[in-house]
Amino acid sequence: MNEQLVTCAALTKRYGGKRALAEVDLELGRGRIVGLLGPNGSGKTTMIKILCGLLQPTEGAVLVDGQPVGPYTKSIISYLPDRMYFADWMKATDLFDLFADFYKDFDRTKAMSMCASLGVTPSDRLKSMSKGTKEKVQLVLVMARKAQLYLLDEPIAGVDPAARDFILSTILTNYNDEGTVLISTHLISDIEKVLDEAVFLKEGQITLHDTVDNIREREGKSVDALFREVFRAANYEGGAF
Amino acid sequence: MFGKLLKYDFRSMIKQFAFIWPAALVLAIVNRFTLDGLDSTSSVGETTAGIAMLVYVAILISMFIVAVIFVIQRFYKGLLGDEGYLMHTLPVKPWQLIGSKLACALVVTVVNILVAILSILLIVPWAASDLKELFEVFQYLFTHWNIQATQVMIAMLEFVLFSLTSFAVGYLHLYLSMAIGHLFNKNRVAMSVIAFIAIQVLLSILGNILARPFSDLIYPAFSRLDGMPAYHISMWVLIAGEVLLAAVYFVGTEYILRKRLNLE
Amino acid sequence: MDWTFTDDRPIWQQITEQLTLRILKGEYPPGGRLPAVRELATQAGVNPNTMQRALAQLETEGLAVGSRTAGRTVTEDTAVIEAAARERARAAVAACLRILAELGYSPENALVFVKEELSNE
Repeated sequence: MNEQLVTCAALTKRYGGKRALAEVDLELGRGRIVGLLGPNGSGKTTMIKILCGLLQPTEGAVLVDGQPVGPYTKSIISYLPDRMYFADWMKATDLFDLFADFYKDFDRTKAMSMCASLGVTPSDRLKSMSKGTKEKVQLVLVMARKAQLYLLDEPIAGVDPAARDFILSTILTNYNDEGTVLISTHLISDIEKVLDEAVFLKEGQITLHDTVDNIREREGKSVDALFREVFRAANYEGGAF
Repeated sequence: MFGKLLKYDFRSMIKQFAFIWPAALVLAIVNRFTLDGLDSTSSVGETTAGIAMLVYVAILISMFIVAVIFVIQRFYKGLLGDEGYLMHTLPVKPWQLIGSKLACALVVTVVNILVAILSILLIVPWAASDLKELFEVFQYLFTHWNIQATQVMIAMLEFVLFSLTSFAVGYLHLYLSMAIGHLFNKNRVAMSVIAFIAIQVLLSILGNILARPFSDLIYPAFSRLDGMPAYHISMWVLIAGEVLLAAVYFVGTEYILRKRLNLE
Repeated sequence: MDWTFTDDRPIWQQITEQLTLRILKGEYPPGGRLPAVRELATQAGVNPNTMQRALAQLETEGLAVGSRTAGRTVTEDTAVIEAAARERARAAVAACLRILAELGYSPENALVFVKEELSNE
């Protein structure tokens, strides 16, 4: 087992001439809940997609548990994408079968009990489910794994406050002690309390990486307030990215 | 892991064809009875027979069209669309993903052909005496034309193998085109179509260039052979050519999915 | 009981204060068992590491004893709890006196004023 769970060195991703990530160095330890914070277009999704192997970096290196991205790292990463990723004709239980087949750390019993507490009927076809319910199914799939790294891409954007609280408490109660959770979001006030560390991503570069406690102690203000200050200029641009 | 991928690809295949395969067979049986109507003088019988035949043929044609759409969709939506988010984060290698899709596509093709053959056999009202006659015909051929049964079997197997490799090349051609289209940030579908045509053109140019030296190379060998040996050798040369082409397409597709994947 | 946090200080410090208050009020009686880290963290909606740190602080101050695995209890030593209560009270009085001083009350006048207020209640 490696000391650092995630190591990114000089990670760069270009789309055409545009740089989505610019020489990012990042190290994440184990058993942490980390917020990947930045406005839309700052490179959060790009970063997460590179970690889970959906995007290839233009330059630089990524190691997860000491290994380059591949079947091994995929087996220890649980990824919640920013969209639905399953075929409609399936039932939630079909997806549980699939996950149980491919991921050794998938806990079916836990998935079923999470469904029960979320009010999801796993034997329903996904096609007949509402968008919110489908999102819950996806959250169940991701959190019912005992993964080493959870990558949650904007899990609380576009959901109502009740659902938001539910997602956060699901994350808090279901992640395992050795697992690290990386949550990308631009809605910081909602998740600040659950974070150990905050990473500020601005125009593809990390401008701050520290514990939430340190930030509050040093700045005398919440991470949310600091974020608003740092990104005020970016907000004025109205999401130019 | 490959077996598990196959399991899920086969499930989506069965889902897709669960209706059309039985439908083709049922309509064949219906035709077997309505065809008798053609002999009768009643126009009702004739019309029924006509409609039944039309529906049957339509089902058969759509079966093959659906197969091609299925092959394209399973790859495009399944690996390069939103479902790709799931497939590419499974702990498997890209070649396994492509291989599973290809195996599934080939099975669809084979079952399609088997269903088509079976349905034709179902339409024709066989009697026990017919089978006996057919058997006698083969017996006559083997005894009088000096054709050996094993030779025929081998030749047929070679043909089946050649057909399978040709289908594989066709499907991999589609896969590679879609993978190339995926390299672009915009208009990926259009770029896939252009890639498809470009590969075709490239291939025919290459064929034109290589045809002459190739025939010069093998002509002397062939001139000394005749009959079945010549057939066997040419089949194996063709099969080798298809396998080579399939390998090139496969490696190209695999490289793009492994090194250039860009889901958005 | 609800948990409220302000933005200006680390959350673990605020949790320590609020847990201390509960112990002083007797919500968690001397020698009583404290809920597990995870349970408290879920209740407060905070990261378990944050809660862990707050509880560790309680241990440092002598208000809680035990370990993470065996479970924590409130100290049976009531002297420690009383001392903590007195510390709190002292801080509250000091803050009150500081404000009165800012308002122009001399220490003597402040004492008179506080006595008056007490007799009015």
